[in-house]
Amino acid sequence: MSEEPQDPPVEEPVPVVEEPVIEEAIIEEEPPPPPPKPSLLHRLTIETSPEPRVVDAATLRRQTRRDFLLFGAGVAATAAGAWWLLPKHLDSVAVRASKERFLNRALTFDDDVAEALYSPNRAVRTYSRRDVTPLRNNYHNPTPGPAYLSTWSLTLTGLASGRDAVLSLNDLQRLAHRDQVTRLVCVEGWSAIAWWGGIRFADLLAAYPPHPRAKWAAMESGVTDYYVSIDLDTARHPQSLLATHHDGAPLTLAHGAPLRLVVPMKLGLKNIKALTKISYLENEPRDFWAERGYSKYDGL
Amino acid sequence: MTDEAPQRTIVAKHHLLVRLAHWLNVPILIAMIVSGLGIYWASPVHQHPPDRVTGSRDYLADAGAFVARHIGVSDVKAQREWFYNHFSIGVFQLAQSLRLHWMFAYLFMFAGLMYVIGIFRSGSYRAVLPRRGDVREAFAMIRYYLRLGKHPVVTSKYNALQRGAYASVPVFGLLAIASGWAMHKPAQLGWLERMFGSYDGARLVHFWTMWAFIAFAIPHVFLAIADGWDTVRSMVTGWSAHE
Repeated sequence: MSEEPQDPPVEEPVPVVEEPVIEEAIIEEEPPPPPPKPSLLHRLTIETSPEPRVVDAATLRRQTRRDFLLFGAGVAATAAGAWWLLPKHLDSVAVRASKERFLNRALTFDDDVAEALYSPNRAVRTYSRRDVTPLRNNYHNPTPGPAYLSTWSLTLTGLASGRDAVLSLNDLQRLAHRDQVTRLVCVEGWSAIAWWGGIRFADLLAAYPPHPRAKWAAMESGVTDYYVSIDLDTARHPQSLLATHHDGAPLTLAHGAPLRLVVPMKLGLKNIKALTKISYLENEPRDFWAERGYSKYDGL
Repeated sequence: MTDEAPQRTIVAKHHLLVRLAHWLNVPILIAMIVSGLGIYWASPVHQHPPDRVTGSRDYLADAGAFVARHIGVSDVKAQREWFYNHFSIGVFQLAQSLRLHWMFAYLFMFAGLMYVIGIFRSGSYRAVLPRRGDVREAFAMIRYYLRLGKHPVVTSKYNALQRGAYASVPVFGLLAIASGWAMHKPAQLGWLERMFGSYDGARLVHFWTMWAFIAFAIPHVFLAIADGWDTVRSMVTGWSAHE
């Protein structure tokens, strides 16, 4: 025990708190003035202790048992759901199919939210050329060699004219050249700010109008066997480019020479490289990564 | 001897919606962490230049490899993937992780809404509002837990340390949701992305809210159990015995 000097103990009698006995008898006297009403701020912020309630013990026991049975049922259902959902227990084809449908429904719901958030009048953030960061070549398969470049052309099908158009790079570059510095966001989580140059997709749509019922563009690369779906709302966005340039120079093979799609309001995987064909369609076309469990819409 | 049935005195403690949200958050947060780390694997937020031997850029994978080496995992690939094989749904599971993450993200927001409605319907939000003297009392509680002092006198529903924790968790939840949306829709919700400084700012905040949840949840489970049956039961039944 330490013998340090301490404050002299205050000999205060311990107040005996007694529950006031509330008489049920009618008080003949004038009722006391009501206590001042607490302020709104006080009522909204000051904790009040809840009123104790006297309840029948047997009823309480019954309710408690019911609550714990419900709780146990919830735990069991959650465990069963987790067992079903966990990827490692995909042994039967039927389970796999039902799970895929279920997860894809979550994905479709999120795509619907993304589509509702999209506004054709909203521009994505643009940056200064000083903000440009290194851009990764994220080709899923090996980067193609240069052999295809000499015979490259862009084919347009599903046009209002009813005839296909086959365009050279020179044909495309007759349309106004635009530069923009935007961010490319990869589904993997990394992002890069890049300076792109090219023509507006909207200008191509104006020069070679699609047939009036078309809602989709199926974008394909015959070089890399890659394909993505783009809704025409996105294609018409003023920041959707068919890029011919990166960092002020013609596209390199790594970045999709000679023509690639740049849609900064979509994930990077929609920005198809080495584009060779655009088909305008009424119904949603296939999409490479959507077939592999990713979102179809990919709106940022 | 009386004919009266035995009675008990109880006090209301947690609103039904608060209890539902509380328990729903257990599987939801586990699923968010497990799927979130599966996404994180594809492009770690915290990276270093590639290791000369292993080629790893990822601190989390390094930490996992360190643990794996010390528990006798000899295969180099298994060491490198140990963390993600044990704390996420696995390596090369990006599509699966994303779908699970979106699904549970919507459930998380739904549970959060239930919680918010519950605390306002019952008025119990008042019990977690910070008040004067909380910092001093919180330190007194820490001293008590470290067996360096006595339990301070607590007259309110929670002690100051609980108040701090229970008030911060909804803030972390809000930060997780806001930074998640900022990363998910940086073009349409550009203003939200800017609130976190940049795209990577949102990723950083999102990653660290996970650790905040973990740092809260582990002591929370131990302390709730240590506090006793009445406390644990009250989160199922909603009432607490009145002393």
